Amino acid sequence: MQKMALIVSAAMLLALPPIGGLADDSPRAGMADPLGSPRWENLRRAFFGDAEVVFDDRVKVNAPAVADEPLNVPVAVDASALTGVEEVLVLVDFNPIVRALRFEPGEARASLAFRLKLNESTPIRAAVRTADGVWHLGGARVTTSGGACTQPSAGSGASDWQQDLNQVGSRLWQRPDGSLRLRLRIVHPMDTGLAKGIPVFYIETLEITAGDGRSLMRIEPAEPVAENPVFTLDIPPGLSVDSPLRIAGRDNNGNLIHAETMP
Amino acid sequence: MSTLKKLPFTSSALAVALAATLSQQQVMAATGVTWEDILKDDQTTNDVLSYGLGLKAQRHSPLNQINTSNVSALVPAWSFSFGGEKQRGQEGQALVHDGVIYATGSYSRMFAIDARTGKRLWEYNHRLPDDIRPCCDVVNRGPAIYGDKVFFGTLDASMVALNKDTGKVVWKKKFADHKVGYTMTGAPFIVKDQKSGRVLLVHGSSGDEFGVVGWLFARDPDTGEEVWARPMVEGHMGRLNGKDSTTTGNAKAPSWPNDPNSPTGKVEPWSHGGGAPWQTASFDLEHNTIVIGAGNPAPWNTWKRTAPGDDPRNWDSLFTSGQAYVDASTGELKGFYQHTPNDAWDFSGNNSLVLFEYKDPKTGKEVKATAHADRNGFFFVTDRDKLATGAGYPNKPTALIGAWPFVEGITWASGFDLKTGKPIEKGNRPPQPAEGADKGESIFVSPPFLGGTNWHPMSYSPETGLFYIPANHWAMDYWTEHLTYKAGSAYLGQGFRIKKLFDDHVGTLRAIDPVSGKIVWEHKEVFPLWAGTLTTAGGLVFTGTSDGFVKAFDAKTGDELWKFQTGSGVVSVPVTWEMDGEQYIGIQSGYGGAVPLWGGDMADLTKQVTQGGSMWVFKLPKQVVSAK
Repeated sequence: MQKMALIVSAAMLLALPPIGGLADDSPRAGMADPLGSPRWENLRRAFFGDAEVVFDDRVKVNAPAVADEPLNVPVAVDASALTGVEEVLVLVDFNPIVRALRFEPGEARASLAFRLKLNESTPIRAAVRTADGVWHLGGARVTTSGGACTQPSAGSGASDWQQDLNQVGSRLWQRPDGSLRLRLRIVHPMDTGLAKGIPVFYIETLEITAGDGRSLMRIEPAEPVAENPVFTLDIPPGLSVDSPLRIAGRDNNGNLIHAETMP
Repeated sequence: MSTLKKLPFTSSALAVALAATLSQQQVMAATGVTWEDILKDDQTTNDVLSYGLGLKAQRHSPLNQINTSNVSALVPAWSFSFGGEKQRGQEGQALVHDGVIYATGSYSRMFAIDARTGKRLWEYNHRLPDDIRPCCDVVNRGPAIYGDKVFFGTLDASMVALNKDTGKVVWKKKFADHKVGYTMTGAPFIVKDQKSGRVLLVHGSSGDEFGVVGWLFARDPDTGEEVWARPMVEGHMGRLNGKDSTTTGNAKAPSWPNDPNSPTGKVEPWSHGGGAPWQTASFDLEHNTIVIGAGNPAPWNTWKRTAPGDDPRNWDSLFTSGQAYVDASTGELKGFYQHTPNDAWDFSGNNSLVLFEYKDPKTGKEVKATAHADRNGFFFVTDRDKLATGAGYPNKPTALIGAWPFVEGITWASGFDLKTGKPIEKGNRPPQPAEGADKGESIFVSPPFLGGTNWHPMSYSPETGLFYIPANHWAMDYWTEHLTYKAGSAYLGQGFRIKKLFDDHVGTLRAIDPVSGKIVWEHKEVFPLWAGTLTTAGGLVFTGTSDGFVKAFDAKTGDELWKFQTGSGVVSVPVTWEMDGEQYIGIQSGYGGAVPLWGGDMADLTKQVTQGGSMWVFKLPKQVVSAK
């Protein structure tokens, strides 16, 4: 099984376009998929329809080239080089559930780090919609043994998962540039519904708001987000946040998430 | 490093945020269900909007396209598999609205299915903890529908509201701790408080076998917020609008013994007293009263609920094993009739309570009555006016009009004294263990705790004036055991072994006249009957059998007119509706429930039944309809 996955990823590497000529910062509308994925045309039709789509190096997707642990692959999306970011969609070409996560940056920086389950070696893309309606795409390719989307979560085997469900742990600290970094960890099995006999069970919404009600970020995780999700986001300097941040959300069973953290 | 504290689940800020999210999801526009729709459910033929096919739970349809002369031509229109690896008992009654069937399955699942084609529209699988404690299989008995939502109870003691068009969760309320034994299997019910004009979602709790106090809840269907809650054990405090309301019955709970050494002043079982209203209510519109059965007292052992050295008949264990009349506005217990005072046999009082009217043959006056076939083997007709008007102490034994045996071989009572409303007992209570013994002497009891009939609801036909009871003939060896309460463990204090009463049959479908108490006809089945019945104006009675058949009978004669093998045991409840000018019959197939788990000698039969899990829908071929 593992050998098969490696052969597939090798074949994809061959399909990559030459590396040269990609350093240019200007968006490349109408260009071929720089990740050379056979799925790209399907994805474009399914998620973007007739909207304008450009491949844009200003959208950074950082992920390990080789991921040893397909159940927990760290991915960081950074679209802060663009202005007017309204929403970001994260797609995983070869996962059985392609749409992995969506977020609206609100007043936070247009960047988010999280962890995904990967079912095989695959491109991971961030599609960033700016106020003019254009989708800017960046991506990375990850090689992995895979299989993570069809495995039961560790939590599904624990008899007392309901005990700690949706509990939130957080850390908030100052960065050298004056911004605040918030890291959240939520206890949740995040089951995809593709493992035999285990219903789909995942966090649907997560809102991070300042004490005065301003939305800092809205995250809509989907099934491929890793168990006990970890999210890291940055609140830019100058945005005075002196009352507790509120974290609220719920999963697809209607179990609520509610916590707050002091800056 | 900052620390986080978990906030209570009810924050208005959060509720606002959630409401915003949900309105975005509710993109599909479709017609909603109104109170007027539910009010007329027994008359309208194009939908099934309530458990019981109407507020009175008569399970009768005015449809007559399928009738005694053509039912033999009935054929399947489609079948839908609930799939998965979770093929356990399918005990649900489906609802039908706007061409969509809403069916619940085992392990807290709900399916929306296109009623015309059998195509799956959506599915909701509730995520269950491993330590749920349903006594009698992982069943669900059906949903409720109102507005744009469908509602059902889950085995982890929660109520869930789903958008009826998308299957997405709108709200979820966990009403009690599943770890100590609370669970939920019954279908919720929609009523409208006639005083405030407020529509309420009414549901109970389950868990009497684990020593939890049974509660009845009324909620706002839009938000799930509790409006009132009523505990069924006498002397426990109820709630109204989030505050303590009144105690149930007498605050001193005189029907339960005192214990000066206990912190409550009452014997330990009073704190764990059962009485769970785990079945579905009916609604007396005129009296603004919810009518629902209360479960068995906990523990089963009668002596634990009797003062030492005294006669158990002096300690009724109110308000358990009887029929309860609850004010829809306040949740007050207005009236109660106890079918089995100080229930020693787990007879419970949960079986369906059907509201009906009849002409008193002596006075010629119309009587507003409630009918109930109890596990204890007696068919009860009670005076609904007396029980629902609610003056004074709720327990009203003299509200009894008549009680007749609907099965043979009842050992615990010879009948009921119509003056006192109390049973005439035959000394059939299991004796306490002798000094130093582990268990008491075994006695023979019939019906056994599985009942002369059980949760599977009977039906009434206004055309024949008869009730149709899916009954069983069986018995048990029964003995007392010592016990102490341990949270989350079975709390019975009894041992038992179910056995046959007759060699040739267990099931007996019976038609009974509620005025004379006479059995008009019976139809025997080799296997236990564990499916509800449905009557139609086509002169038919529909039900299912544990060996997999759906059957139709002539309501007047009991002649079997049609049967179809569904491939697994049928332990669900049939419905009928009309669509595009054609009448349909729908029923679930999939064997399970209490009998294969607790049935003792019934294993010889039940082990022959293979598992399944599907919805079956039947109709007449077009040429048969047009030949009419």
